[in-house]
Amino acid sequence: MLEIEGLEFAYPSQPASSMRFDLTVDDGEVLSLIGPSGSGKSTLLSLIAGFLPAGAGNILVDGKPLHALAVAERPVSIVFQQHNLFPHLDLYTNVALGIDPSLRLAPAQVESVREALVRLGLEPLQGRKPGELSGGQRQRVALARVLVRRRKILLLDEAFAALGPALRAELIELVKALVREQEMTALLVSHQPGDALIASKRTAFICEGRVAALAPTAQLLTESEPPQLREYLGSQ
Amino acid sequence: MTTSHAIPAGLVLALLALLVLAPMAGLFHLSALPGYQAADLRIWENAYLRRVVYFSLWQALLSTLFSVLPAILVARAFAMQPDLPLRRLLLGLFALPLVVPAVVVVMAVVSVYGSDGWLPLGRSLYGINGILLAHVFFNLPLAVRLLLPQWQAIPQHHWQLGEQLGMNGLQRFRFIEWPMLREALPGVLLLVFMLCLTSFAVVLTLGGGPRSTTIEVAIYQSLRFDFDPAKAVVLALLQLGLCMLVAMLTLKLQRMPEVEIAISTPHRNRTNLFRWFNLGIILLATLYVGMPLLSLLIDALRGPIGETLGDLRLWQALINTLLIGLSAALLSVTAGWFLLQYSASLAREGRSKAAKLVDLAGSIVYVVPPLVIATGLFVLLSPHVDVFDWVYPIVIAINALMGLPFVIRCLGPAIRQNQARYHRLCLGLALQGWNRFRHVEWPLLRRPLGLAIALVAVLAMGDLGVIALFGSTQSSTLALMIYHQLGAYLVAKATVTAVLLLLLCLGVFVFVERFIGGKSDAGN
Amino acid sequence: MVTVLSRIGAVLVSLLFCANLQAATPNLVVYTYDSFTSDWGPGPKVKTAFEAKCSCTLELVGLSDGVAMLNRLKLEGTNSRADILLGIDTNLTAEARNSGLFANHGLSLQASALPNPWQDDLFLPYDFGYFAFVYNQEKLANPPTSLRQLVDNSEGPTLLIQDPRTSTPGLGLLLWMKKVFGEESDQAWAQLSPRVVTVSKGWSEAYGLFLKGEADMVLSYTTSPAYHLIAEQDSRFAAARFEEGHYQQIEVAGIVQTSQHKQLAREFLEFMISEDFQKIIPTTNWMYPAVAGEAVVPVEFDQLIDPRPALLLDETSVARHRKGWVDEWLEVMSR
Repeated sequence: MLEIEGLEFAYPSQPASSMRFDLTVDDGEVLSLIGPSGSGKSTLLSLIAGFLPAGAGNILVDGKPLHALAVAERPVSIVFQQHNLFPHLDLYTNVALGIDPSLRLAPAQVESVREALVRLGLEPLQGRKPGELSGGQRQRVALARVLVRRRKILLLDEAFAALGPALRAELIELVKALVREQEMTALLVSHQPGDALIASKRTAFICEGRVAALAPTAQLLTESEPPQLREYLGSQ
Repeated sequence: MTTSHAIPAGLVLALLALLVLAPMAGLFHLSALPGYQAADLRIWENAYLRRVVYFSLWQALLSTLFSVLPAILVARAFAMQPDLPLRRLLLGLFALPLVVPAVVVVMAVVSVYGSDGWLPLGRSLYGINGILLAHVFFNLPLAVRLLLPQWQAIPQHHWQLGEQLGMNGLQRFRFIEWPMLREALPGVLLLVFMLCLTSFAVVLTLGGGPRSTTIEVAIYQSLRFDFDPAKAVVLALLQLGLCMLVAMLTLKLQRMPEVEIAISTPHRNRTNLFRWFNLGIILLATLYVGMPLLSLLIDALRGPIGETLGDLRLWQALINTLLIGLSAALLSVTAGWFLLQYSASLAREGRSKAAKLVDLAGSIVYVVPPLVIATGLFVLLSPHVDVFDWVYPIVIAINALMGLPFVIRCLGPAIRQNQARYHRLCLGLALQGWNRFRHVEWPLLRRPLGLAIALVAVLAMGDLGVIALFGSTQSSTLALMIYHQLGAYLVAKATVTAVLLLLLCLGVFVFVERFIGGKSDAGN
Repeated sequence: MVTVLSRIGAVLVSLLFCANLQAATPNLVVYTYDSFTSDWGPGPKVKTAFEAKCSCTLELVGLSDGVAMLNRLKLEGTNSRADILLGIDTNLTAEARNSGLFANHGLSLQASALPNPWQDDLFLPYDFGYFAFVYNQEKLANPPTSLRQLVDNSEGPTLLIQDPRTSTPGLGLLLWMKKVFGEESDQAWAQLSPRVVTVSKGWSEAYGLFLKGEADMVLSYTTSPAYHLIAEQDSRFAAARFEEGHYQQIEVAGIVQTSQHKQLAREFLEFMISEDFQKIIPTTNWMYPAVAGEAVVPVEFDQLIDPRPALLLDETSVARHRKGWVDEWLEVMSR
């Protein structure tokens, strides 16, 4: 379970833009985050991952606080919209990096990489480089890496934004299955409310650095309060 | 779209060929005339010339390695410390060594490392040590400035993933930084190699003796004392050929750039250990580059400042220097722009070999000695026009030519990325020509454009080789004035003038970079 | 279209106008070397002095050095604008003579200050000098007194010299050694080589390095100390006197065959060997004036060493053997 309590942050160059997040995500849940650009969705993910230093507040994973942990020590995996893969390394290596960056893998680990690739339908493409893959295939590789890492938290920062609807749906289902199997907690940032419908029971609306609304997805998408939500959805 | 780029590029290439090949042909033709040495092409059988070739290659290779490899560390240090105070000034300082006329560099290096200097090396200064010291002084800063933008091209997500995956410093370098570096490195290696191969006064004076003869010296000798134009041309072609070989090798090493387009912000290194290491490296590099410059400054402060500055002719020379420098820079950058746009569109269409060849054509002309071009031009033009009337245009043209490889290094990657990112968008919006430049290219390419213009301008302002060839009725540029003062026993005065030239170049560099390149929050 | 034509017409008219002006004051073009025309050389004063006497303009064109000058003239051939070539030395006169580009000057040199009599129809000397090794008296107490001693003493002073391929003094030293040692000059160079700190491209680099204390002695001219004496009031520098004598450099001028102003050129050469020109030379070119005269040489020149006997190899010898000698030198020095 992921608990975010009173997590505060402000960009040094924009002190007025202070943010404060309060959120709880259960095990096995994929929580969708929607909201206008610049509202703080990606910032929240960065705070959880540790890329940005939080001000006050707590991030607790199964009751254990994260703020003292370095980025590499946090039980987090993140998938970005692009640049997840290192372009000059083949698929196998890109995934293997998720286990150990020195690439010294025990036979069991090597096997798990193979399995992940098979699971994601990437086995035949193993020796290829990212440059030879389509966008969807590249995101699959990123997910394969998440699979082998077996971390508690999964952050998806508009990971499927560049993909077509069918592919997107397929990958979201994959993510849901993964999250269920490994009892992860996931946060999915997306600009497509449709994604939230497929992915999540609950959806949060982030606005001006706060969780402005949190409700079951279908309900949230038809909400008229707060006004910013209406505005945001209306523009969709 | 390639066709529209092909035409101006084709024109530039044709002009380059004309400017380089025609004079050589003219010179070679002379050997058929009475009064000149007949062409003797059995260069390779001459043991002396063989030794000259080996030595030229050897010192150039060594100098290149010693300049570029440390430059990687220094550039990395700068990239990792985007908040460094005085960053812009330090980087401006790094543009200076190229400006200093070779003669003055020799003096400065001797001031620091000579018997009376701060770090005396004694007699061992005069040999490969001295050559390396001077070459590294020239080229390390240049390489740093050319490599530094590469770090900017690294996507931020790679850094973040690296952190999350728990990569240590070595792994970060191996997986994140090296691939980006690998794209730029061959080009930088080639450029520095060409600079070191064609280095003349430094090698001859700090080299210690005739053991350190390079091909340039042999060409110089054959055009002046022996008056054997055919041999000069053959040697020039040999030099060109050698560079092409090296270029082919480096072309092989060059890789395709990043697949996805990057928008990046600088990476802040939060580990204290690395921070001190990086700061230490920057300090070392600054000292290495700064010491000779500082010694010059100290000597100049002891010199006849008032007398030198009070001379009206100095200010006339200063204005001429500025005009020549800026004209050459604009010409060079314009020519380079067209070449690079064409090369980028070729790369975009997947014809990467052709793209690299176009880049190479623009760069390799550097290796043909200006003496050969100037004399050849003279031979071609003098029956038809009074060459003395054309001195300035020719000097500007040749300096522009010499500046091309720098333009290609600075601007090439940026133009390629710009095209890759925006070309389709522009096609869709029917954004072409001036509008495209105004809205898409200018705002995004300002910074490398600024660097390129600044670099070529200061190179041309410090140039002595070309203008001295044509004859003058007075000390028309600052570099020429320094040379004349040195020839008249006026060493102290020459030092003052040299420092003035340096300050002028520093000013121009910083100003052009800021004015054209625009302010940036990340420094570089 | 009309405006374009009228503009062209205006330009043409103004050109003609200028041409007319040109015809009024003839322009005498002199090719010379850089340090002559530089602001600190004899050029500006010579120009003022000559233009005051003739009703003409004197155009001094600076081309790096003697070699470059001659090469330029040869390249230009009959198209040359030059009326006079001023500044080649006796190492180049043979080549210049063979080129057929010079005309008889028809003048005779009265009151020559040269150590040996001068006889040449094509070329007239204007100054001369002697090569010598210059040192700092405060740092070197006992300089060698002969070339032989310099060569033989393996503990002797360290030296800065120039490359004979790219520098006149460099070539001068080569010929000096040849004159003194003849067939044994190879060995002499081999003995000298370990003490040569560096061989520089030109005189400026070597002298600059010497002033920075990089070596005990530098190959320069006997008149170099005069510069320090007169311009800097510095008496530390002196030239070492060698008992075999010092190699001479005589600088000459000649009238170009294709000149349109031969009479004016002749007038210039007359001016060149007159006191008005000669008195400019010592403190701007730092050489000895070719014409003897009381008021011409500054008093400080008396403190300079007496370089005689003046050594010189004849021009045909030099022209024929120069390349071979340089190759020999290269061979020895490259070991």
